[in-house]
Amino acid sequence: MKGDKLYIFLFLTPAFVITGIFLYYPFVENILQSFYKTDGFFNSTFIGIDNYVRLWNDEIAREALFNSLELMLYVTIFQVGIALVLAIMVNAITKGAGFYRTTFFFPIVISGAAIGLLFTLIYNYRNGLLNEILVNLGLERVLWLTEQSSLYMVAIPTIWNYVGFYFVILLTAIQKIPNDFYEAAELEGVTGIQKMFKLTIPLIVSDLKTCIVLAITGTLKIFELVYIITRGGPGSSSEVLGTYMYQKAFEDTAMGYGATIAVLIVVLGLSLAFITNKLLQKEEVTY
Amino acid sequence: MKQFKWSLLLVFLFVLISLVACSNNETDSTPADNDDNSEGAEETDTEEASEEVDLRVVTTMAGTDPAGEVFQEVLDEFVSEHPHVTIENDSQSADAGTIRTKVNTDFSSDNEPDMMFYFNTVDAEGLIEEGKVVNLEEAEGIDLSGFNSMLEQQRHSDGNIYAAPQSGFYEGLFVNKKLFEENGIELPTTWEQYEAAIEAFAETDIVPIAASTEDSYYVVEHYALAAGGMENYTAELADQNPSWAEGLDNIKKHADMGAFTPDAATIDLAMAQELFKQEQAAMIFEGSWFWGQLEEAGMGEDVTVLPMPVYADGGETGEIVGGASQGWFISTKSYEDEAKRDVVVDLFNYLTSEETIVRIAGATGQPPAKGALDDLPAYLEAGHQLVSDAPAVALPINDRIYPEAFTHMRTSVPNIVSGNTTGEQVLEEAAGMEE
Repeated sequence: MKGDKLYIFLFLTPAFVITGIFLYYPFVENILQSFYKTDGFFNSTFIGIDNYVRLWNDEIAREALFNSLELMLYVTIFQVGIALVLAIMVNAITKGAGFYRTTFFFPIVISGAAIGLLFTLIYNYRNGLLNEILVNLGLERVLWLTEQSSLYMVAIPTIWNYVGFYFVILLTAIQKIPNDFYEAAELEGVTGIQKMFKLTIPLIVSDLKTCIVLAITGTLKIFELVYIITRGGPGSSSEVLGTYMYQKAFEDTAMGYGATIAVLIVVLGLSLAFITNKLLQKEEVTY
Repeated sequence: MKQFKWSLLLVFLFVLISLVACSNNETDSTPADNDDNSEGAEETDTEEASEEVDLRVVTTMAGTDPAGEVFQEVLDEFVSEHPHVTIENDSQSADAGTIRTKVNTDFSSDNEPDMMFYFNTVDAEGLIEEGKVVNLEEAEGIDLSGFNSMLEQQRHSDGNIYAAPQSGFYEGLFVNKKLFEENGIELPTTWEQYEAAIEAFAETDIVPIAASTEDSYYVVEHYALAAGGMENYTAELADQNPSWAEGLDNIKKHADMGAFTPDAATIDLAMAQELFKQEQAAMIFEGSWFWGQLEEAGMGEDVTVLPMPVYADGGETGEIVGGASQGWFISTKSYEDEAKRDVVVDLFNYLTSEETIVRIAGATGQPPAKGALDDLPAYLEAGHQLVSDAPAVALPINDRIYPEAFTHMRTSVPNIVSGNTTGEQVLEEAAGMEE
């Protein structure tokens, strides 16, 4: 046991050192920074909790928070939901499974910036793909990015981008289920859709839980797609916490206030991950 | 088992020592770190550094800026004449203000460039106050002779000069003459003609004004100028000058008249420029650097630049936004590095020599800070005429007010356009941020 402890210490040290330097130290610095008013990176004045008071009263920050939560809802439901359906379907086929696996996974390898640009060109009013199709069909152009629709329009590429990731996790989980279970279920008369609800999903629930936690925490990090497609607009209708933090910290050089928004993002991410874990807590299924 | 454990420990130690040793080698080979070394080592390192000097230069001459290509040629020529020097051209486009973030991050993380061509405005205040850049008048070997009045425009409030100009710029209303002629619309030289042009183009498939209401830097400035004239345009933000609010409200008025493309709130500056270059829009608010893009698009001859029509009492059409807001800075860290100083001074004098300045200015057609451009095409001449005829010239608003306040003003334009807020309210909020 003593020997084990040495190995544990030995192998964990590099990871601790690296996360310490690149994650915990900047995070502590970030928290400290949130108590300062900064202007142009060089002038810092200690202002206590004024940044937090400002955040509490900031209407745009509130809108960005609600937009982030709304986006989280869509992304979690549709990314994990679609990934589950696709994984079950691909698992059910014998021919062409490899093709579908590659196709569904493909968007993951495209950078967010490229997908953002792609969808900017799809939604563009004057020369965008969708409106060009409409004009060629003799129809009027449609303004795709309005105050009402912008968040949904940003959610679409976000979901598409990461469905493949959860698809692969869930497909691997499904494929690990021994075939005996299905054979036994068939003998018991369980068929078709019942198999999915009574067998597949209960057996992969721990993987589903992981996917949901990843989707929830991942949504809080959304930045580039929103920044490129709508720039948080029109107005602040699609502003999310990531884009608002970037604007404050880097465009306005208000690093202190940007750091305060970053603290909110971290607190929110940790709380949501904790709540999700608690809500989805269930005995692990082993087979 | 115990032996294996110790072998593993040894391997771990070896890897750790190798990593440390490798990083030390890298540090020693960087001339910028000579100051930290002991005296004995310093002598050896200085000798090595005099053989090889690595410089990093940050400018805004990149991306769609046609000066970028010429600037790289100029750097290559300097390097070929100084074989022991290597220069990393770390330039980045000025669009969307990311260059500000880059420069601020570089300086605050002790990774400053040796020289930079940057905004000598409110953006450089922190750098100057912290002593991060050199006072050029006191720097040994720096040649500041031969500049026109643009050099004096660089003088800081503390009386020193920290930046040497390269060229001036002007902003204005770029209009596609061809589209105006084809549609029988008069060029907008008065406010009434400007509004008439918006109305007339709005009835066609041509967008009257190519603009992003989110990235509305130039739109905000020109509408404030039109509503207040130069006297009010140069007011402080704290004054909450009513003409600024009126200017912001005029943007909504014109948006309602169909002045902008319906997705103006979500497109960026580059997209707006594309609309104009593809002749889908008749007018655009831009700066003199835009000529380079127009020439590349082969439409220089079809375009002319006009001053924003000013309708305010006491104001005069012809007053323009412009000046020389960018200049060459030398970082103090680099200047104080014995191994780099001579090369940095040489490079500075080379880049600010009349020959180089005229050559770079020639790529964009902007008025040079030394010498003059010859054989300019008529459309560029018109731009230079605009400057020489201007009764008053002032720097852009965002060059002199608190960045967060200006960002709030420009990013609130879509909300003003949609009727969610008013110019007065936005101005009040922006002034509150500056406090």
